[in-house]
Amino acid sequence: MADTPVPRSEPGKPPFRWLPYGAALLTVAACTAMDSLLYSHTDLANLVMVYLLGVLVLAYFQGTGASVFASILSVVAFDFCFVPPRFTLAIANAQHLFTFAVMLLVALSIGNLTAWVRAQAEEARARERRTAELYALSRELATTRGIDDLLGAALRHISQHLESAAVALLPDEKGKLTVRCGAASEFSLTPRETALAQWAYDFGQLTGRGTAIVPDAEALYVPLPASGETVGALAVKPLELGRLFSEEQVNLVEALAHQTALAVASDRLTDENQRIRVREENERIRSSLLSSVSHDLRTPLAAITGSASALLKDEGSIDPAGRKDLLENIRDEADRLGRLVSNLIEMTRLEAGPVELHKELHHLEDVVGSAIARMEERLAGRPITTSLPADLPMVPMDAMLMQQVFVNLIDNALKYTPASSPVEIAAEAGNGRMTVKVSDRGPGIPPEDLDRLFDKFYRGRLHGPTGGAGLGLAICKAVVEAHGGAIWAANRQGGGAVFQFFVPAEPATP
Amino acid sequence: MNTEHPPLVLVVEDEVSIRRFLKPTLQGEGFTVAETESGLDALAMAAYQHPAVVLLDLGLPDVDGLEVLRRLRQTSAVPVIVLTARGRDEDKIAGLDAGADDYLTKPFSVGELLARIRVALRHARTPGEDATGGPYDSGDLAVDLAARVVRVRGAEVHLTPHEFKIIALLVRRAGKVVTQKQILREVWGHAGHDQAHYVRLYVHQLRGKIERDPARPVHIVTEPGVGYRLRDA
Repeated sequence: MADTPVPRSEPGKPPFRWLPYGAALLTVAACTAMDSLLYSHTDLANLVMVYLLGVLVLAYFQGTGASVFASILSVVAFDFCFVPPRFTLAIANAQHLFTFAVMLLVALSIGNLTAWVRAQAEEARARERRTAELYALSRELATTRGIDDLLGAALRHISQHLESAAVALLPDEKGKLTVRCGAASEFSLTPRETALAQWAYDFGQLTGRGTAIVPDAEALYVPLPASGETVGALAVKPLELGRLFSEEQVNLVEALAHQTALAVASDRLTDENQRIRVREENERIRSSLLSSVSHDLRTPLAAITGSASALLKDEGSIDPAGRKDLLENIRDEADRLGRLVSNLIEMTRLEAGPVELHKELHHLEDVVGSAIARMEERLAGRPITTSLPADLPMVPMDAMLMQQVFVNLIDNALKYTPASSPVEIAAEAGNGRMTVKVSDRGPGIPPEDLDRLFDKFYRGRLHGPTGGAGLGLAICKAVVEAHGGAIWAANRQGGGAVFQFFVPAEPATP
Repeated sequence: MNTEHPPLVLVVEDEVSIRRFLKPTLQGEGFTVAETESGLDALAMAAYQHPAVVLLDLGLPDVDGLEVLRRLRQTSAVPVIVLTARGRDEDKIAGLDAGADDYLTKPFSVGELLARIRVALRHARTPGEDATGGPYDSGDLAVDLAARVVRVRGAEVHLTPHEFKIIALLVRRAGKVVTQKQILREVWGHAGHDQAHYVRLYVHQLRGKIERDPARPVHIVTEPGVGYRLRDA
């Protein structure tokens, strides 16, 4: 029966259960009462049948022990009440001894057979329940991704089905188990209990409550065995204090654990595949970076080396204007190299992990101003206008990174537009955000470039003679997004491109 | 003490390529140049040769540049200009906190270098930075600290007391970088990090009053991540 304690799990003998024997007593009494009504109308053999019926019913409902007890009791009661001489245990006719023997034998057989049939039926039902439960879990596991969600589903099934609290423990890098998910507050994971969980994980063996290993522990510890490895352990603790799990429940938990373990292992495998794919992608990007960067580094280097060696070799054949030209070339190319290296460093830093922003309240005007100041030489008289409302609030931002955004956007405009065409910077605040536009009157952006413009190493179709590594806009995107904003590009009415971004603007309160 | 003697610039830098262009450039400008790549040597040379200016790279092979600066400051008030690599803003601030007068970010142009040295030498000649000197006059901005008068394009501008204190501080250190912390300390009397935006707010207001286009300031220039600099007259 469902709540029979697991034999091997006994910390002591189970308490003696009186109910079946009381029921046996009552049943035999009832049979005797019925027989005394029938006594005058029928012969002894039929009275025996009534007792046998009683034993049958009892065996079905109360099991073997009660039916054996009732069988013996029936024989005694029958003898005492009905076999002449009545109301003594003595027998007048020796053939009645044979009747008793057969009656006892038949009663015992009926009892045993009935109890066995009952047990079979119980087991079949339990099997069915278990199958249904396993099926339900496996269906849920099949549609769940991620180790935490998988374990969560398994714990839900287990605690529901076993009326218990459950947690999952997974090993850390050193193989030491720690609680990964579940109702940890229900557990007092003392060193002893933790050691049991560890044992279950290390040796792939059931431990704890009701098992051969520390049977009086608080919880039952079930390993999570996948093919060839144990991925962790479950701890299951009955909600009702002092209750033990039945063998069936233990079997069910083991089956659920197995299924969960397989799901977790396969999820990890998927994760691993994902990581490998990402690694391959990174590898691809890295090599494209290398070829792109090495080209972009070598070009200015070649120009610098060439110009410098020309000046060194010169013995008066280059006129002063030519010399100045060469010198300016050296300086400009070195600047370009410097910008490229800065961008590379910046990108590496932004990609190294979650960007640590030094957000403080700043006026956009200050940030734009220092960006323009940094670009002063490159601007070389290019008209650049700023329209920043005087009441633009201070906005929390990382000034250095935001300045880089403006430098890169202005640089971008300088690269892709004719030398005298104006660059405009405008901003406005509203709806909890500050929106900034950097616009030019250049050739605009080919529609097919719009989506990929901010990708790393992507260079537009129109990339000019002073192309960079395709990092500038990617850095802008990374910075703006780290601020919780977004950046995009569009073509302007009347020609030219506009790069627009927003960042959240908390109401400034200095 | 001997004004006819060309001023000595002590270059403390371990990169040969940097020294290679610094030395002839400085000599060409009429300075004498002493060089070392060791922080410890630099301390000894500063003590015995009395340089007029020290150019100090922070990344030295033997001693941390900041440590050199601290030890130097225990005995000498010589102007120190720190050389830092780009993107190391915390170095600049640490250098200024440790007593540097100014900084230059590599790569820098010769023009920038000479301008910084000029400013440092001028401030060194007027010991005690609070020496009022003459009235500040640069382009359309004129500040007379003694009379507490600020004029823009000839018209007097009314400043609040805090604004005036800030412009006064910048004028006294004209051409030199002034950190936000220094402004907080000198104008408000204390320097909590979380109050830096007060400085920015007041500078913003100040620019609104004295700059033609506050988004492209010509007088109060932002040194990103560090502070402000009043462009040299």
